[in-house]
Amino acid sequence: MEVVDARVILAPTVSFLCAALVFATGRSVFWRRFWTFLAATIKMGLVLSMLPGTLRGVVYTYQFVEFTPGIGIGFRADAYGMFFSLVSSTLWVLTTIYAIGYMQGDKDRVRFFGFFALCVSTTVGVSFAENLLTFFLFYETLTICTYPLVVHAETPEALRAGRIYLTYTLIGGGFALVGAIMTLNVAGTLTLAHPGILSGDAGFGTLLVIFLCLIIGFGVKAGIMPLHGWLPIAMVAPTPVSALLHAVAVVKVGAFGVTRVIYNVFGVELLQQLGFATPLAWLAAFTILAGSTIALTQDHLKRRLAYSTISQLSYIVLGAALLTPLAATAAIIHVANQAFAKITMFFVVGAITKTTGKKYVSELDGIGARMPWSMAAFTIAALSFVGVPLFAGFITKWYLALGALQADAWWFVLVMIVSSLLNAGYWFPIIHRAYFRTAQEPWPPPPPGRRLETHKTLLIPILICAAYVLLLGVTAEVPGMPFSVAQVAVERAFGLPGVTP
Amino acid sequence: MTGDAVAGAAFTAASWWPFAAVALPLVGVAVGAIGEHAPGRWKGVTLLALGAATFAVTLAVVPGVLAGRTYEVFVLRMTTQLWLTLRIDAVGAAYAATVAGLGLLALVYSFGYLPRGPRRARYFAILMACLACTLGVAYAGNLLTFLIFYEAFSVLTYALVVHEQTPAALAAGVKYIAYILVGGSLVLAGVLLSFFLAGDLTFAAGGMLPADAPTGQLLAAFWCFVAGFGVKAALVPLHGWVPDAHPAAPAPFSAVLSGVMVAAGAFGILRVVFDVFGVALVRELGAAPWLAGVAALTVLFGAVMALSQDDLKRRLAYSTISQMGYLTLAIALLGAGATAGALVHLVHHAFMKGTLFFCAGLWIHGTGHRRLSQLRGVGARMPLTTAAFTLAAFGMIGMPPLSGFVSKWWLGVGMLEVDAPLALVVLLAGALLAAAYLLPVVYLAYFAPPLPTPLAGAGVATAASGPAPATAWGAGGRRAEAAASMLVPTLVAAALTLVLGLGSLLPGFPLELARAATRAWFGGG
Repeated sequence: MEVVDARVILAPTVSFLCAALVFATGRSVFWRRFWTFLAATIKMGLVLSMLPGTLRGVVYTYQFVEFTPGIGIGFRADAYGMFFSLVSSTLWVLTTIYAIGYMQGDKDRVRFFGFFALCVSTTVGVSFAENLLTFFLFYETLTICTYPLVVHAETPEALRAGRIYLTYTLIGGGFALVGAIMTLNVAGTLTLAHPGILSGDAGFGTLLVIFLCLIIGFGVKAGIMPLHGWLPIAMVAPTPVSALLHAVAVVKVGAFGVTRVIYNVFGVELLQQLGFATPLAWLAAFTILAGSTIALTQDHLKRRLAYSTISQLSYIVLGAALLTPLAATAAIIHVANQAFAKITMFFVVGAITKTTGKKYVSELDGIGARMPWSMAAFTIAALSFVGVPLFAGFITKWYLALGALQADAWWFVLVMIVSSLLNAGYWFPIIHRAYFRTAQEPWPPPPPGRRLETHKTLLIPILICAAYVLLLGVTAEVPGMPFSVAQVAVERAFGLPGVTP
Repeated sequence: MTGDAVAGAAFTAASWWPFAAVALPLVGVAVGAIGEHAPGRWKGVTLLALGAATFAVTLAVVPGVLAGRTYEVFVLRMTTQLWLTLRIDAVGAAYAATVAGLGLLALVYSFGYLPRGPRRARYFAILMACLACTLGVAYAGNLLTFLIFYEAFSVLTYALVVHEQTPAALAAGVKYIAYILVGGSLVLAGVLLSFFLAGDLTFAAGGMLPADAPTGQLLAAFWCFVAGFGVKAALVPLHGWVPDAHPAAPAPFSAVLSGVMVAAGAFGILRVVFDVFGVALVRELGAAPWLAGVAALTVLFGAVMALSQDDLKRRLAYSTISQMGYLTLAIALLGAGATAGALVHLVHHAFMKGTLFFCAGLWIHGTGHRRLSQLRGVGARMPLTTAAFTLAAFGMIGMPPLSGFVSKWWLGVGMLEVDAPLALVVLLAGALLAAAYLLPVVYLAYFAPPLPTPLAGAGVATAASGPAPATAWGAGGRRAEAAASMLVPTLVAAALTLVLGLGSLLPGFPLELARAATRAWFGGG
């Protein structure tokens, strides 16, 4: 049931306004923080207010402007879009708190928080995009808005990283544009409202080119190998940027794009006929394993996290490419599971660097004694990635494996298992060092007057995210939790009535 | 039973029992974790009370189980497919009582054994957590609950294996965690396949997998389970972690490892064979003879390796590998009598091996030596400890009327019932080998003259690795038994070797529970 509702367009535009206000009044610390925080909380509030409707099957739409029939700027909040915006808006609030604490004393904070707020709005725009044009518009704007955040430090290293980032993402954008234009040509429309707008009439060759262009286009941001090269290099950005953008917003927007292509541009049935999804599934499996293998070799903490992200994102791509409802459930729910767990880890790594100056795994001996709560949160996130039951990652692992069995592709179960073991291989040594080794030189204690192990604006988001990782694992079924939204989305994508098993 | 049905089942008074058994030790985790800053007395007393209460709970449910009552509680639902339940049946009750009992003894022993220090709080917290998780394994009502508790205590055990943080302990820990994670992955693969084939995860006596499922997938699930659980159960060639991990851990935890943790793997195989597949399906698949072969190999290999070990704890570790092989061998024979014997052996072995490890710990604590060649004549200095060791050793060898004899008897009878003379040969060979690797220790302790010079330096355990020796080992005939906190659990465990043997036919003792379990699985007497 489709309902016209202004909230769908309010969500991105309000944050745009707040971003503008940050630029205008940002000299004052109070106003900068105020508008930044307001942007994040208003967005979260608007999205949450639409949640009950989404769970009942309501889809909120708002057509902004139509250039010609089928081409315009339009917004549509279906279950999948709602899911994505829920995850990103919740995490945005938490990252805002974290960033405020982390960036204290840093330079150019007006520019930082201004573009930060802009990124909020563009991400919502992507998640609520009604058609490929809107999607593309906000997708590219996100790229541009993230550039100043990546090069924030303005060191030669940062500028080089920014150049590489832009090169990859703009070329990817080019491919996506070509794919979109061809789709318009073939299907006559760009809307994402149906389970597939292309049909087999277009001819195998044309459809293949469209598929490749769109997947490459979105696959750059989704970190599918070999298009992943920008991700580890972009880790030079300040940790709040790495946490949110490169663990949640930018990369998830890429994964979101890939899944939209599979479910809403091509559709499950057409892809099953054409057989395009199988090579994609294999590529995803390769990325999963290769990303984790490379992560094993990284001593730099943020780089280890970056390669882990590359690996984890392909869980989503694999789930979508398997074309079964259970795998789709896994793909969608992993957007949330991986986001919360990976952000927890980035927050902890940032807190460690801020508090002790350490950036490498080999320097972390005994840190469990100095920062017990942070390392406990890190342990929770690590256990989630390994897929230990009662943590979020197990839900993904379970449904993805069952989805593979449902698709008669049991070898992907093996991929999942090996991936879990690899994850254990590069997370457990960190935990082991933290708790079971004694520090080479004693850790500097907190400054006098501070009882907490690190600043509270860093610690509180860490603890909240870690707690949510537990909640996602244990209470996934509670109505209102992401899982129920994911189920609605899966039903839509597969045209299934009622509740998925 | 679907998740909805389980969730809808009324929460009766009886539901509290399994819940309490798991929850009480978890309270102990919090108590144990409160660090050194808290006054020691009340913490120790509270932990003791919790341990005793847990044991009491596991015993209290036994009469009800024997009378046919069900204790079931729905814990948590994660998604429509994944929920946790606890359920007490006969075999679970037997295993749980063993875990809680040996755990209580190890807890008391730990008070005396562990040196004061920052890691002590961590040890007790994790010990209680391990106990809670093992009880969760015993009382698990479906494969997922089993998996969760199994994985949890597997991971937690790591912290206790490496507790002393010596290079040897850390190396043992790495080996342990690598083996156990691979094993856990295999178990998960089995669980996934089972759900895929059956649509459900709940244990059902007689099996819950559909008999008409593709044989290839059934066999894949079976061997995934066996290999996965076989790592923990130390089936050859998956046993590699045992000889390093059991000696590396502090003695009370070695006792728990050998007594109940390895048994958890065998318990898993038991659940898979009887409550997931069912006897008929396993027979049809034809996998049982292979499993029996692996188990027989394990029995003999472990026993032979034990002969050549000079390190006492390593010798005992190989003995565990061998003895636990009996369980899998008996299960693989698919006979009611043999399975009953296996269950009884699980219980009896736990306390016998526990006694042996407790004594080993006392000897190490008292003399600073771990190698047999250096433990000569210790019987004169520590007569009670050595007597306990002797009693348990004779029990392991199978001397009547001790518990080891009883379990081997029923195993043997069961093996004859299903016409498996080869298995009987393996049983007897194992017993002979047990004599060969245990009696020399007794002989050395009593009849060999102690080493001439007091060894103040070489061979004495350094302060960094394990407890400081309570007394100096030197010439002179002074008796030097360990403190009561360690001696009493050792003597109690040794006494149990006698009591469980003498009273084996009495109601409430393991044999009755074992028979109740096999009745459910095989039907009839």
